[in-house]
Parts: sequence; structure tokens; C-alpha cells
Amino acid sequence: MSTLSRRSFLRHSALAGGGLLVAFTLPGCSTPPSLPVPRESGDFVPNAFLKFTADGAVHFYCPRDEMGQGVTTGLTTIVAEGLDMAPQRLTVELAGAHPDYANPGMGFQVTGGSTSVKEHFTQLMTVGCQMRALFLAAAAQDLGVAESALGTDDGMIVHGEARYPYAQFLATAATLPVPETVDLKNAADYRWIGTAFPRLDGEVKATGKAVYGIDIDVPGMEHAVVVRPPVFGAKVVRFDDRAAKAVAGVRTVVEIATGVAVVAEHFWQAKKGAEALTVEWSASPLDGATTASLRADYAEALAAGGEEAESTGDVAAALAGATKTVDLEFWAPFLAHAPMEPMSAVVHVKGDSAELWAGTQGPGPAGALVARHAGLEPAQVMVHQTYLGGGFGRRGTLTHVVEATQISKATGTPIKLLWTREDDLRGGLYRPASLMRIRAGLDDDGRLAAWDAARAGSNITPETIRNSLPALLPGMPDGVVDFMVGLTDRLHQGWVVDHSSIEGLYEDYAVPNLAVHHATKEHGIPVTFWRSVGHSYTAFAKEVTMDALAEAAGQDPVAFRLAHLEHNPRLAAVVAKAQEAWNGWTPAPGRHLGFAAHHSFATSVAQVAEVSVEDGAIRVHRVFCAVDCGLAINPDIVRAQMEGAIMYGLTAALHGKLDFEGGAVKQSNFHDYPILRINEAPKVEVVIMESQEAPTGVGEPGLPPIAPAVANAVYRATGKRLTELPLSDALRLA
Amino acid sequence: MLRFTLNGQTVETDLAPDTPLLWAVRDQFKLKGSKFGCGAGLCGACTMHVDGVAQKTCVLPLAAVAGKAVTTIEGLDPQGVGAALQAAWVAESVSQCGYCQSGQIMAAAALLEANPNPTEAELETAMAGNICRCGCYPRIKNAIQTAAATLAQDALFTDAMAEEVSA
Repeated sequence: MSTLSRRSFLRHSALAGGGLLVAFTLPGCSTPPSLPVPRESGDFVPNAFLKFTADGAVHFYCPRDEMGQGVTTGLTTIVAEGLDMAPQRLTVELAGAHPDYANPGMGFQVTGGSTSVKEHFTQLMTVGCQMRALFLAAAAQDLGVAESALGTDDGMIVHGEARYPYAQFLATAATLPVPETVDLKNAADYRWIGTAFPRLDGEVKATGKAVYGIDIDVPGMEHAVVVRPPVFGAKVVRFDDRAAKAVAGVRTVVEIATGVAVVAEHFWQAKKGAEALTVEWSASPLDGATTASLRADYAEALAAGGEEAESTGDVAAALAGATKTVDLEFWAPFLAHAPMEPMSAVVHVKGDSAELWAGTQGPGPAGALVARHAGLEPAQVMVHQTYLGGGFGRRGTLTHVVEATQISKATGTPIKLLWTREDDLRGGLYRPASLMRIRAGLDDDGRLAAWDAARAGSNITPETIRNSLPALLPGMPDGVVDFMVGLTDRLHQGWVVDHSSIEGLYEDYAVPNLAVHHATKEHGIPVTFWRSVGHSYTAFAKEVTMDALAEAAGQDPVAFRLAHLEHNPRLAAVVAKAQEAWNGWTPAPGRHLGFAAHHSFATSVAQVAEVSVEDGAIRVHRVFCAVDCGLAINPDIVRAQMEGAIMYGLTAALHGKLDFEGGAVKQSNFHDYPILRINEAPKVEVVIMESQEAPTGVGEPGLPPIAPAVANAVYRATGKRLTELPLSDALRLA
Repeated sequence: MLRFTLNGQTVETDLAPDTPLLWAVRDQFKLKGSKFGCGAGLCGACTMHVDGVAQKTCVLPLAAVAGKAVTTIEGLDPQGVGAALQAAWVAESVSQCGYCQSGQIMAAAALLEANPNPTEAELETAMAGNICRCGCYPRIKNAIQTAAATLAQDALFTDAMAEEVSA
């Protein structure tokens, strides 16, 4: 067997041409008994993804995690299309931990980076087509007819006028070899891909029946709340648990690596106990830090120059010779993800095994972490994946799983750990703050001649290593992990640039002279992937700068962008599509339009925002969004992801910030970390570009353009060029 | 011992009277549809009906519901307003992560019970206490308006039937 590479997939484009004969190495052919797929006699489990039962049910074990992005509908649709069976007929199961459920683009079991449909499309289409071929072969044998006389239709074998359900041929199918090569379905024959039908998880989520990590109850379970340091980096010196233990229902108090856990019969008792606990904390290097002091450190690092990330031509000479220049400094604050379900996990560490129930963006790594901290092998840990009450990058880091494991190991009981909202906002893992500067110059013809961009701040890679290495290499000692984290951090200070820190700052537009620098400044504030990662702040700097340049050139901001996109046809096409909206759009009196475009996660997006500023308040009324994500598996889910990313991005654009005071995060709950509400939500119109190209991601790319689109509209409304986020604060101070 | 009605059944609890209703319902009575989001009455994920009024139950002490009728998403009218809302929620794919949606639907049900034909402003006012981090707001609006229209149609039909029967 050979593996169809992504490159050859794109070259041959099964989507466009169809009928491509592929040989594909499938996970799951290997050792089915080890799969976390419960089965009874008569069930047919040909691979990790599908289980056929005698009663005709087809279970799809969805390898990616459902955090709202619609992956259970999207991936089910792909496998169902290949199987030629309506997606609604499949029963979707959330897969447990197993190497066969690895993300093909990453090699391990993680959901993130808007990769799920992009990376699983060929794999799951192949699985579906293989199973259809297998049922055709089994039916031909059982019916005693030539396979060429048979066809399929929505889960049925068709022979002339006769129709037989696939399930009728299960026993024979189970005896036949799975075909090693198979014709992938012609795009022209798709029945469900490209069709907007309701999400498959709509009903359980409208009736309160969907199960999240917080909803798990197991016999003998106790509830834990952890008291963590007010300042990152501080450790427990000593604690007094007498008052905590006097709270009715509190059973025990346990010190763990990150703080002190109060364990009780019910959550509310554990929370009251945690409030009654007195802890003395050690000093931390972050003591006394404020937002202003952190920013001053970034400014110093930025002024020092940092490391070169990209260089083309001679940017200094081009700036010196430019007809007009723009020089802007941008600030983007620390942000919490604040998913509606705070971090939660249930862990039961037993003698020679353990179980985990949680909704995470990495069930494989989560199981490995439980094993590591329980003193077990990964194979001794059973992982039960649940729905995620929001992810946005936050549930890829599994500190809460480690905490629950440490507590359960100490108590011997099943432990449900729940972070409060205050824990969520103050307990870390943030979008890193960024100070950016862009100096850009125009030539005599009003074309971009120079782009000199820099960013200062912390990098997410060291923290990612700290959190993922122990899971990926369970045998690696903590000391080696610490060494690798430190090494990575040192490499970022003088040697290499963490690309996620600068992604999106310079790539989209043609410019002959380019320089990009990055200055690393770490303070020990835990940071991680946050919806659209670096693009969440770089697009703001890049697209506000482009608007300022267009004004300097005396050009229409959309036409100015298009003039620099000849080399970038997909982004150019969405900009042109949004230009139609822009040109035909007369804003209501008192309202103004702003434009921005950005390419991220292999997807191009352009947005127009209609905005008013009344009594100092920015209000976004309408947003137009054009997106090219290749083939749209379910156009309605693409629309939903654009709508959602715009709302998530607007929370950040208008309100989002975490401040530091005395080394601690100041904000604590939704009263001082406000989330966009329904009365602030704009109407959104989404246009999806017609495409037969391979599908790309949609979870993140809708976010980056919205903040600059709004900022550019505010400029037209007020004449104030806002370069700091959140915009509401910036406007007040402008 | 404190008594109240939960989805039509009388229940008793000996939890501390300052325990929020949400935690009694989730931890003692094992109904998990109502969610914890903030613990401060700021996000609405915990919304239930108390004597027909939408309440944020993460800050509502048990003592305040003694003798009252509590309805959760699990006990939402399977006919009428609840059914119309849930059908619209499914048809229009409102939910993304879904975590806040029980609270959203309970708030919307209380709204339509009190005001069957809300204006957009009335709808926004009634729903402004419920946060959706996935940003499903445009669809929440559409679904509530769809449900209101469906219920109005049903009411017209019922009235017409009644007239026909009486005629």
C-alpha cells in the first residue's frame, strides 16, 4: 500500500476530476481489538471510524473534537458521502483515545488550527468509499450476481428494482478483505457535500441532553475546587485548612502542584471551603507587574530590534526614498478565551487503571497526562470524550486534567474538578499581548515600496512544549521537559523567531522591500493558542496600516489592496467580491464603512463593517463577509463559523482586555471582562466563493479581519486612527 | 428540609439554604441541562423558570424557591412554546458548542409566554442577559422570530377550528 500524499491529492484533484483511483494506508486496519469501540457479537468494526450493527445502525467514531465548530456534522458528511448513505442515518460517537484517531496533519490526537476538514477529507472519503465497495462485493457474492449489476442508494444495495439494506450483507462483508484501492466518489455525484442541512447535534443541544465534561457523574464522585496563586509563578508556602474543613460537606484538603484543592461532597461546598482556606504564597518574579510595566518592557524590546524573521530587498533604502510613509504602533492586550463551560474534568485513578471524562481538544494527550501523573501506562487509561462547551484553543492545554489526576490519586475517589469563572479569567493561558510597529512607504506611483514590521511580546511555543511534551513523550522526566522549555525560550531570544508570533504581519500583499522582526520578552505569564493565534493581532496592525497607506496614496482602500494582490488570486477574489458590497453599499445616515481582508489557515476572508459612533460608543450594525475555504462541505456551517468568528472577534475588538495590577490579573468575571451580547450583535451576510478546490479551515479565519474593519470604519466616522485594542478604550483615550 | 416543585414533581433537599438552586438541581437532582457559566448571574447559562419567570439560578438561593414551581430545560413544555422554540433552534442550526443554549431557550420561552410577538428591541432586552461565546446571536434572533410566527399560525388555526366547531 502506498499513501496518497496531500500534494498528489491536490495535483490530481479528486474533487475536480473525480474517479481517481487511490491506494490509501488507513489507520485502523492494524489491531481492531485495541480500539476504544465497544462491540457486541455480530457487530462489524472494519476500522477505527465505523461500526456496523446487525440492526442496520452505522456508528461513526468522529476523530475530531466537537467544540461548536460543527466537526461532527462535517466529518460525518464526508464519510457518509463515500458510503452513499445520508449523514442523518449515522450515529455520531465521540472517539476515545487511540493513535488511529490522530489528526493526519499533526500525527497526534489534537483538534485545532482549523485543520479538521482539511486534513481528514481524503482519509474519511476513502474510508466511506472503501466500505461501500466492500458492501457491493459482499452483496454480489450473497445475491450471486455480478458486482457490475449492482449500485447503491442511501445505504441500500440496488439490483434492478430490488433494494437491500447494507446491513443484510454484514456477515459476508466481515469475511472479505477491505479493498486496498478504491475509486473516490466524483464531485459531480455528491449528494450531501455542498448542501446546507441542519447540524446533526442540533437536537441534543436544544433539549439540554448534550453531555459536557461538567455533566459527568460517576458513583462515589467527589467535587474539587483548587485555590491557585494570585500571581503566576508563586508557590504554596503553607496553608491553614481548619476553616475550610469546618464547612459542611468538605471532606479533605490536598496540596497539588498548582495550588491547594478542597474536596467536598458537592461543588458548592467545595467552593465555600476554598473561600475559607488561608494560603500563604511565595514571592514571584511577576510581583508588582502592571499592564504599563509589561508594555514598557515590550517597548524596550521592540526598540532594541529583535531577531530578523523575513527580509527582501532593502527596506531602509526604500523607506528613505519613499514618497509617502506611514509609521504606526499597535497594541493588543492579553485575552482569555472564556469558553462558556469553564475547565472541567472527571478523573478516577484506581490501582492499575484510570478513567478520564472530559471534553478536550486532545483526548490522546489527555489520556497520556493522566497516565503520567497517575503512575500508569497510557494503555491503562480509558478516555471518555464529551462535547466541549467551547474551545477556541483553550481546551488544548490540559492543566485541569493534570490537577484532577493529582487530586484523585491523593483521595482514591473519582474527582470532578471545576474551575470557577474567576479561575478561568485569572488562572491563565491567554492570548499573548503584543506591541507592534509597522513603517511602510509608497513610491511615486502610489504603490507599496517598503514594509518594515516588528512585534514584541511573548511566544506561545515554550508553553506549548511545557504542556504537550509530557503528553507526547510520557517517559520524559519533568527535568528534561523543563530543559526543553527553557531551551526553546532561549532560542527565541537571539536565534530563531516563533512563527506564530508574527504570522499574518506581512504575507498578504506584494511589496518589493520587506523586513520583519520579532523581539521576545517573557514574563512567565502562561499563553497559548487563542482563536486565530497570531493573526488575531497581526491582521489588526496590517489592515489598519493598509487603510492609512491607501489614504496617503489618495486611493480607495479596497482598490488599493486589490492593486497589491495580483500574485494572490484567492485573496484577490474575496476582496473583489467584498468590493461589490463596498461599492454598492450606502451606509445609513451617521454610519460609516470599514474594510479589511486577511488570509489565514489556508482560507481567505474579506469583510466590510458598517459602524456608527454615538456618544463615544462604537456600534457595529452590519457585516458583510466573503470567504474562500475551497469546497464548502456544509455551507451553513461555514456561514455559522464566519458569524461566530465575527462575534468572537468583536468581543475582542470592542471590549476584550486583561489588565495586570500588582502582578495579578485584575478582571474576574463577565462584569469586568464583558462578552458581546445580543443587543450589540450585528447582522451578518456571508458569501461563500464557489470552489471545487480542496476544503480548508473555517473555525479561525473569519476572526482576523473584523477588528481592523471596525477600526477603519471608526476612522471614517471620527477621523481618529485607532491603533490600540480594545477599540472602546482607544476611542475614549484618543 | 426545604420543599419545592421541580418539573412538576415535589422534591425535598437538606442542602444548606444558601446553596444556589443551580447546584441543587445539578448535583442533588442530577438534571444537567442547566449549566454553570459564571456563578454571578451574568451569563444566563443557568436560566430556569421559577413560577414561570426566567431566573438566573446560579445566584438564587434554595431558600428563595421554597414552595415554588421550578422548571428546567428538561421540563420545558413539550408542546406549545417550548416545542416551537426547540424546532426552530434545530431547523436553523442555532447551536454551536451548545453549552449556553438551555439557558437561551429558557429565556426565550419566558419571553414568548409573556409577549408572543416581541419587537426586535423587546427580544434583545429579554435576551441580553444570556451570553453566547460562540456568537450565535443572529440565529437566536431568527429562531425566536420563527417560533413566534409558528405559534401565531398555530393560534390562528386553533381559533379557526374553534369557530368551525361552534358554527
